[in-house]
Amino acid sequence: MALEYLPIMAQSSAPKPPRVLVSPSKPSWCPLTKPANESRVALLTSAALRLKDQPPFTPREDLSYRLVSSDPAAGDMVIDHHSRIGAVPREDPEIIFPRSALAALAAKKLVGSLSPVHVSFMGGIRSHKTVEQELAPAIARDLAKAQVDLALLVPY
Amino acid sequence: MTNVSPPRVIFVDHPVGRTFGRPGDRRKQEEILTGALAELANFTEPGQIRDLHCQWDSGGSRSWEEELRTLLLSDR
Repeated sequence: MALEYLPIMAQSSAPKPPRVLVSPSKPSWCPLTKPANESRVALLTSAALRLKDQPPFTPREDLSYRLVSSDPAAGDMVIDHHSRIGAVPREDPEIIFPRSALAALAAKKLVGSLSPVHVSFMGGIRSHKTVEQELAPAIARDLAKAQVDLALLVPY
Repeated sequence: MTNVSPPRVIFVDHPVGRTFGRPGDRRKQEEILTGALAELANFTEPGQIRDLHCQWDSGGSRSWEEELRTLLLSDR
């Protein structure tokens, strides 16, 4: 039985009202066009993660995003998300953003190729409409520009 | 995840913020990623959830849930 996070998060955010879950207004299903070993793959994270030399995210309703190089040698990663769970992933951001593991799978030909960039944004944003109408389309445009076939979002 | 409509969901029964295992465990990160990619072809419609049957504690203990609850509710 999976842990029920929503009641904990509601208690945690009190006296602010609990978060409202919102489904997208349009279906988000896209059929797979290629198997993973022929696909270009990108990671997405809602951890407000960035490279050390990129501008920091600003809590809490920061609607910007960062393009993070998929090269594991590109530099140290920093997590700006304000969640209390951050201590452990800050020891090793790869446990929420497996950039090196994905590169290893590409080297083993288990994925076709790496997107040159992965994507990071701030999770827990309450402006759902802006996320759907501005943030998500902007990210989708960048992923399309990078010719990404598969985007794997790791929620934070 | 059952209340929103992501196109495909892979369930990893680990504490939030530790989806790919413990710090430094590259083998586990690759294992979970490989498992997730292997499930992709099994999705036939939106809203499906595929369970990778991961277990955080090798003995099956779920004491991490209480630790996480305490952490999330600390310093309120």
